[in-house]
Amino acid sequence: MTTAKRRSGEREKRRTTLTLPVDSLTQAERIARSRKVTLSAVISEAISEGLRVQTALQRSEQVFEAYKKAFSGFTDDEMAILDGIILQPVRKR
Amino acid sequence: MLDPASGPFLFDTSAESWLTRADSNWMRDYLTRHKVHTSAVTVLERSRGYSLLYRGAPEGKKESIEAARVAYFNRLGQVWPLDEAVAAVAGEIMALLPDPPTSPRRAHKLAESRPDRLSRWRFDCMIAATALVARLPLIHNNAADFEPIRSAIEKFPHRFPDLGPLELIRCQRLQPTVH
Repeated sequence: MTTAKRRSGEREKRRTTLTLPVDSLTQAERIARSRKVTLSAVISEAISEGLRVQTALQRSEQVFEAYKKAFSGFTDDEMAILDGIILQPVRKR
Repeated sequence: MLDPASGPFLFDTSAESWLTRADSNWMRDYLTRHKVHTSAVTVLERSRGYSLLYRGAPEGKKESIEAARVAYFNRLGQVWPLDEAVAAVAGEIMALLPDPPTSPRRAHKLAESRPDRLSRWRFDCMIAATALVARLPLIHNNAADFEPIRSAIEKFPHRFPDLGPLELIRCQRLQPTVH
């Protein structure tokens, strides 16, 4: 990225060729016309949003898996101790 | 059902583990949008719990307990500190409700001592105070403790200026089918 682009916050771009489903492309063209922006802008936004959702899903799964690992393999009594309930053997009188 | 997008929420200690152990779709959805917010008190309770289990475990089980502890601490979300504001509010709650509302817990041949019950009650007061100060609804699995706190705050709002009401959400409400 050039210094000027970095300063202006503009993201670096690269041309490529994509094969897209016709219905998706038609819908994107319709959105571009209605918003008076380029087709590239609409496709770019859609990809960014899709990637954001994918990243969030991945992070969510990682956190959920960590939780499962943190709390699996324990009995109910052991889970009570992990939840802050300190259970001790009852002494016989 | 509560929309996960309406978060973030503060999770009580047992609600955090209950929702993840129940393999809750609500929790998965929540995690795509928000961090799990907890009180530093929850971190204290977990740390003590893992340590007690580790110390009491046979050699063969120590490694798995340590792995579980590391998994928990590696993925901590947003932990709210026990700062002066939380301490001030928790002190008010404890003054209004000095005694635990229920008896010590019993299970099989195990029981919670009275001092441990009292400290758990005070921890719950601190967690409720954290929710108030953070202005987050509190997801809990312990209505017997948190409902009296909510009622006391409603009854004496002048003791909690610019705070409250304490919004409580039972975690069972977030899980239509529990296996």
